[in-house]
Formats: sequence, structure tokens, C-alpha cells
Amino acid sequence: MLPRPLLLLLAALLLSPLAQADPGLVLVVNARSGVDRLTLDDAVNIFMGRYRQLPSGLAALPIDQPENQPEKARFYRLLVHKDLAEINAYWARLIFSGKTSPPHQAKSSAEILDLLARQPGAIAYLERSQVDSRFRIVLELER
Amino acid sequence: MRTFGRHSILVRSAVMLLGSFFLAGAVTISISLAFTSARQHQAATDRLNRLLDTVESTVRIACFVQDEKLADEVAQGLLKNKEVQSVTISSEDGRARRLLSDSRHGLITSGLRLAREVRSPFNAEKVIGRIQVDANTTAIADDIHDEVRFITLEIIGQLVLIALTVVAVMLVFIVRPIKAMSDGLHRMDATKGERLAVPRNHANSEIGRLVHDINGLAGNLVDTLDQERTLRLDKEVEEKKYHSIFENAETGIFIVDQAENLPSWNPAFALLLGIPTNEVYQGTLNIRQLPWENASRIVEMALNCRLDNIGLSDDLAIRLRNGSRRWLSVVLTPVGEDLLQGVVHDVTEHKEAEASARRLSVTDALTGMANRLGLEEELQAMLRDPLIAQTGGFALVLADLDNFRRINEGFGLPTGDAILRGAATRLGRCVKGSDTLARLTDDRFALILQSVTGSEEAGRIAERILASIRKPFPVDDAQIQIHASLGITLYPKDGADIPGLLRNAELALDRAKTMGGNGFVFFDPALTEAAEQRRHQENDLRQAIQNREFRLYFQPIVDLADNRLAGAEALIRWLQPEQGLIPPDAFIPLAEKIGLIDEIGLWVLDAACAQLAGWQAQGLDRYLSVNISAHQIPDGLPPAALADAVRRHGVDPARMALEITEGVLLADVNKALTWIEAAHGLGFRIYLDDFGTGYSSLSYLKRFPVDTIKVDKSFVGDMGEDGGDRTLVEAVVAMARSLGMSVVAEGVETAGQLDLLRAMNCRYGQGYYFSRPVPAEQFEAAAVRIDKMLAGRVEAPA
Repeated sequence: MLPRPLLLLLAALLLSPLAQADPGLVLVVNARSGVDRLTLDDAVNIFMGRYRQLPSGLAALPIDQPENQPEKARFYRLLVHKDLAEINAYWARLIFSGKTSPPHQAKSSAEILDLLARQPGAIAYLERSQVDSRFRIVLELER
Repeated sequence: MRTFGRHSILVRSAVMLLGSFFLAGAVTISISLAFTSARQHQAATDRLNRLLDTVESTVRIACFVQDEKLADEVAQGLLKNKEVQSVTISSEDGRARRLLSDSRHGLITSGLRLAREVRSPFNAEKVIGRIQVDANTTAIADDIHDEVRFITLEIIGQLVLIALTVVAVMLVFIVRPIKAMSDGLHRMDATKGERLAVPRNHANSEIGRLVHDINGLAGNLVDTLDQERTLRLDKEVEEKKYHSIFENAETGIFIVDQAENLPSWNPAFALLLGIPTNEVYQGTLNIRQLPWENASRIVEMALNCRLDNIGLSDDLAIRLRNGSRRWLSVVLTPVGEDLLQGVVHDVTEHKEAEASARRLSVTDALTGMANRLGLEEELQAMLRDPLIAQTGGFALVLADLDNFRRINEGFGLPTGDAILRGAATRLGRCVKGSDTLARLTDDRFALILQSVTGSEEAGRIAERILASIRKPFPVDDAQIQIHASLGITLYPKDGADIPGLLRNAELALDRAKTMGGNGFVFFDPALTEAAEQRRHQENDLRQAIQNREFRLYFQPIVDLADNRLAGAEALIRWLQPEQGLIPPDAFIPLAEKIGLIDEIGLWVLDAACAQLAGWQAQGLDRYLSVNISAHQIPDGLPPAALADAVRRHGVDPARMALEITEGVLLADVNKALTWIEAAHGLGFRIYLDDFGTGYSSLSYLKRFPVDTIKVDKSFVGDMGEDGGDRTLVEAVVAMARSLGMSVVAEGVETAGQLDLLRAMNCRYGQGYYFSRPVPAEQFEAAAVRIDKMLAGRVEAPA
């Protein structure tokens, strides 16, 4: 039997990477978009191409983080429990009919912030730390 | 070889097989059709489901983004499968439904449709659309038809193979052998001993057993035929024999048919019935044409015989042409086919003999009148006659000749018979021709007087009869005179039936007899009462024997010469429980009449012997006398019984005296003499009792070995007054002495009588002067008193 301090240490080691490695993301819109809250369903519909409209009637412009940003993969895992390969395969099926298209792929984080600030219909996911007063958090995505 | 016809087993079996196979095949195919169809539908459904599975994810996406183009692509892909006839994809988002794709090949032909809900690719719980597929059933039906066709061909092939095998097996194992047997039977002559051969390889099969059975049956049939032939031959011989018997029998034999005609009869029958032999009846002789006295009797007999189907017999009379009357015994027996066989005997002689015997049985041979049986028949006929009530009745008279036995004994039986015949003739003259006369026993006659109803008329006729019998009968040289007693009963007053009438007439006759004879008495109910009383007495007397109610009393007898007690006479008394002591006169005559005297006599002898044995044991020199009734001699008390009694008690028979009366000698002299001599020969003393009251023939005294005479007390009692009686007693004493006999004087009551007897030299005396009869226990006292009396002249008791 291990002594009690050792047990506590083992538990801390096991739990800490999960708590620290996957911090929550927030879905934000332009503060002028007229939207206060979005449901998870609304978020799925907008990002997966079902509807491209905000509840306020404004055409929605979803923006993905750059491909190499870990936030993108984290976002889809939190949103629809799928990895990026699956998301790419999904869009591959739809690409030919032209009915809808994937979210706009930003080149950088700056571009995201820029688009968010300029476009009233823009909607994107960010680290909570990146949010400032220009944006409004409409959904908190946490594990 | 014969071909297989429509009814051959083989053809029938083949038809049956094909029929049942066709039925079985049809049923099998129908079942597999239904089964295959269901299976094909299920398979088609499964295939469509699998097909839908392959496009599931794409359809989900198409519906999610409501992409018509993608949906069409999916639909076209599905339609490439020939089993899919149409595809419809629609999306819904909770509010509106939207058709995304509707693609098809031609018109929808069947009801096989598959529909699935389409769920969101990101949320499996959320329904976002619908996909619906119609199957191409024509293609499925084609598949089903292909499969059923294959099954059908397979079944037909199998069944045809089985049918052929069965037919072949039957042909080889059943039809061929049977046909071979059949052909063999056609050729076979069983009577020549030929038998069927067992078909090859069938020795132990059913066919082989059948052949054995057929051969066995053939054997039995041949045997039976042989027996039949033998029997037929025997029967022919028998028939010839019976025909000859029929022709030559002395018994008449004939056959009667239903129409009462005689189809055949034998010569004996023709002879008996007087049918002329030269006449030919040719079966038309009717039974009524025969000379029956009463033809309806034989016709009725034949009818009954047929109706009851039993043999009947009867005696029938015929009258022949020559006028003679014959009796024939006819026996009719049914012999089947509604024919009766008749057998006829001539029984005329037998009938006549029977009639003669019948006449004899009711006739008295001596007088030619009716006997008792004849009288009873006549009485029966009269009682049955309805006219008897109109004429008012009749009188029945019994007549009995008084003391007829003495005639027979005195003059011999021929004389007696002559008198009976004479009496019968006289009786006949006294009555009307229509009256009936009968002799019942020796000298007893009965008369039935027709229409005599009053006692006056009957009395007149009775007087006439008595008078006619009283006239002397001339027999040989002598004239014999007798008289009769009559008992008269009147029907119906004195009795309603024959036994009653006869009994009452007999009671009346007995009364007439006891009144002295030569008279008549009408029956009176009092007579019945008297008879009744006597019967009571009889019963009492029988009881007395059973209950030992008799006692012996002893009266001393004194030796007058030696002045001492010589012995005693034993006297019987009846100690009746209700009436007390009864003297012998009151019951001995009745005992004699009803035959109890023998038993009583034996008891008396036994008791007397016992008493004597007692005296002997005490050394007393006494003798004892007992009275013997005339009825006991000779058979009631045979000498052997006497010898037995003295031997048993060990007494000296010389001390035992047997007192007999002269009546004994009157009955049957020879038998009585034999008995007396036998008793005397045994050593017993013989006393002649009551001497002087009866016939007192001196010749008897000479002929019989009498030892002592007892002079009757009536003579002794009269000695004192009448000189005649004294002389008589003296004469008896003298005569006895001269014959070497002793004398006992009975009834000595006074001293004077005793003196007289002593003077006559009478040896013994007995009477109240000495002692009354006393019971045994008082006897010794009496003996002592008598001794004193004789020694000291003590006064006799009062």
C-alpha cells in the first residue's frame, strides 16, 4: 500500500494535463451585430453550412482559424465532436453542388480579429483572452 | 398372357399413385410458392435496407444542408440498382418539409416500399429528413417464378421416379405372383391331387402363405366332396331300406300335406282304414274322405300339430264299410315343409280291455253291484248334477249286517257269501230301479235313494229293508236268521261333500250298532259331538301312554285252604291329571278299539313283572295275575314278548298268571289255542276270567290248557240269597276239581260268603272282604291285615 501523500500526488498528476491542455473557447460576434446569445444548434447550423444567417437577420460570415492553429481542431471537437479530417470529408461532399461552402479560412489571427471588427455578420471562435470590447461573446464552448 | 385391364391392381395402383402424387405435388408447390414469395420479399427488403445503409451518411448531409443536387446524386445512384423503382428524399427542419429529390423509373407497380427517417450528421437524435424507396416488384416476381419453376420440376421428377419404382415393385412382387397363381388355379384340377406351386422367392412371404391356404382349402373341399359323395351313397341305401320298411310295416304310416291331402301312405294304412287298393287316388285322397266317426277331430289335430309344431296323439274311432267299429291310435308329427307324418295303430282290443277293467274297478265281484269306488263316482256325479238342486237331494243309507262275522266263522265263507248275495238281492228289491246299490266292505252296503229328502220317507224305506233282511235265509238245509243296522244321512242337510256324507252315515250306523242292532238311526249332529268327544279321549289316552299316567293296583287273593295270602290280581288304573283315577272299564274298551291296548298291555306285563320280581327278591311266595284282553291275542302280545318280559325281570313264569276271558276263545279259536298253548308252554299259568257270564262252553275247558277258573262275582254275590247260584258255584268247583283245575271266587264281600266257599272246598277267594285293590305301597299293610284276619278272625274292613 502506498503512503497517503504519494496517492494525492498521483491523482494530481493524472488530472492536471486534461484540465490545462484543453482550455475553453468562446464564440464571438461583432458587437453591432445585434446578437446577444446563440445556442449550440445555431452555432452548428452556421458553421456546418445549414443556415448562413444570424438570428438578427444579418447574413452570417463564419470564420475558421488558420489550418495550423490548434484552436480550429479544438473548436470542431467541442462543437460536433469530430476531428478535422472528418470535417474536411464533410465539406468535400458538398463542394461540388455549390449549394453551400465551408467557413471563411482566415490566414491569421489578426485577419480574424479584423474581419470581426469590420464585418457586422462575422462570427468566429477565440481564446477568451483574445476578446476585447469590440466583440460580444454569444456562446461559451467548454468541455 | 392376359393384359392389364382397367381394373388390374397395377393400373389402379398407378392411377391412385399418380393422383396422390399430383395432389402432394400441388400442395408442396403451393406451399413453396407462398414460402418463396415471402422469402423473396424479405430478401428484397433486406437488400434495399442494405442499399439505404450505404447512402445513409450522404443523405444525412444532403438533408442537413438541404442540398437538392446531392440528394439527386444519391437518388440516381440508388436507381442504378434494378430493384429500385423510385426514390424520394425530403428534408424537414421542424417547421417546413422540403422535397429534395423525386426520381423514378416508370409507374410504381407494387406495394413494397421502404421509408427511413434521416437524422442529423451531428446530432443522432434529431430527425432532419426522410428517404423513401419503392422496390421494383416485377423483378422480384421474376425471381420467384424462376425459383418455383425449378422446385416444380424437381418435385415432378422425384414423384415420377417414385411412382415408377412402386409400379415396378408391385408388378414384380404382387401382380406377377397373383397372376401366376390365378393362371395356375385355372389349370389346376384339385380332385386329381394337383396343388398350386409357390411362386419363386415367395416361400415365406404373404403370397406363399396365401398359396398354402388355398391349397389347404382345396384339400378340405375335396375331402368334404368325398364325404358328401359317401353320404349320398349311404343315403340312397338307407332310403331304399326305409322304403321297404314303409311298404312292409304293419303300422299304418301316412303323410298329410297342408291341404289335408294324403300324398302317400303305406299298404298297412290302406288296410287299417279300408282304402281299396285297386282305386288310384293319385294324391287327391283327402283326410276327410277316410271313414272317421268324427272327421273334424283329425282335422283339428292336424291343425294344432301344425300351429304348435309339436307331435300330437289321440285315439280316434273309425267305422268300416262292413259296419265294424275300430279304435285307432293316431300320432301326428311335423316333419318339415308343412308336411305331417301320421302313424296309426289298431288299439281296439286295448280300448275294450280298458273299458272292461274300468267297469271291473267300480264293481263288486261278489254281488255285481258297485263297489266303494263305484259309489263314490256315482256320488260325485250326483253332486255335480245341476238337477240335484231341483229334486231336492237324496238319502245315503249305510247298512251293516249285525254279527256277520259269526256267520262266516260258524258256517264258513261260502255260506257267508251266499247270505251276502241274498242280502244284496233283497236290498235291490227294497229300492227303486234308479237308486244305486253298492257293497263297501264285507257286510256293509250303501244305498243312494234318489229324491228321498224327508226322514219320514227314508224311515219307511229303512223299515222295509230291516224287515226284508230279518226274513230267514235258506242256506243248504238250515234257515239262518240275521238282522241289520242302518245309518241314514240326507243330502244336503247332513253333509255337503262325499267324505262328510259317508262319515256321518257311518256315525249313524255306529250308533245303530251300539243300540243293539236291528234298527236304523238318522244322522244327528250330536253324533258328531260324541265322536268328537271320543277323539278327545283317544288323544288323552295316547298322551297317557306317553306321560306314563297308568298305575297298577293289586287286589289280594287268599288261599282259603291254607288260610294265607296266595297272591294278587294286578289291575290297571289311569291317573288322569284332570279327572283323577279312572277305572279300566272307562278306557280299556276305547284302547281296544283304537289299537292302544297292545302298548298298554305290554306296560302292564312289564310293571307286573317288576312287582313280582320285588316279591321274589323279598322271598315272598306269591303269584300275580294280569288281565289279557282278547284284542292282544295273538299278535298284540306274542309269546316272545311274554318270554322277554320274565327273562328281563328274572321272574319265574309259574308265578305269573294270564287271565283271559271266554271272548278270546270266540274270536279265532285256532289262533287263540296256539297262543295259549305257547304261553302255557313257557310256564305261565292260564286263568279263565269271568267264568259263567259268556258262552262257557265246557268243550273249551277241555280243549284249552286252563289252570284256574275265576268264578264271576255276580254268582258269588248271589250265593247267599238264591239257592240256584250257590248250586252253580258248587257245580263249577266240582267240575274244576274233576278237570284238575283250581277255582278263584271273585267278589267275596262277607264272612258268610267265605264260609260257604270254604264249605264248597273252593280253593281261593278274592274280594272286598279281604281288601280292595290297593297301590303297591299299601299292599304290604293289606297283607299283614289279611294274615291277622285269617289267623285271628279279625273283622274285615267296612
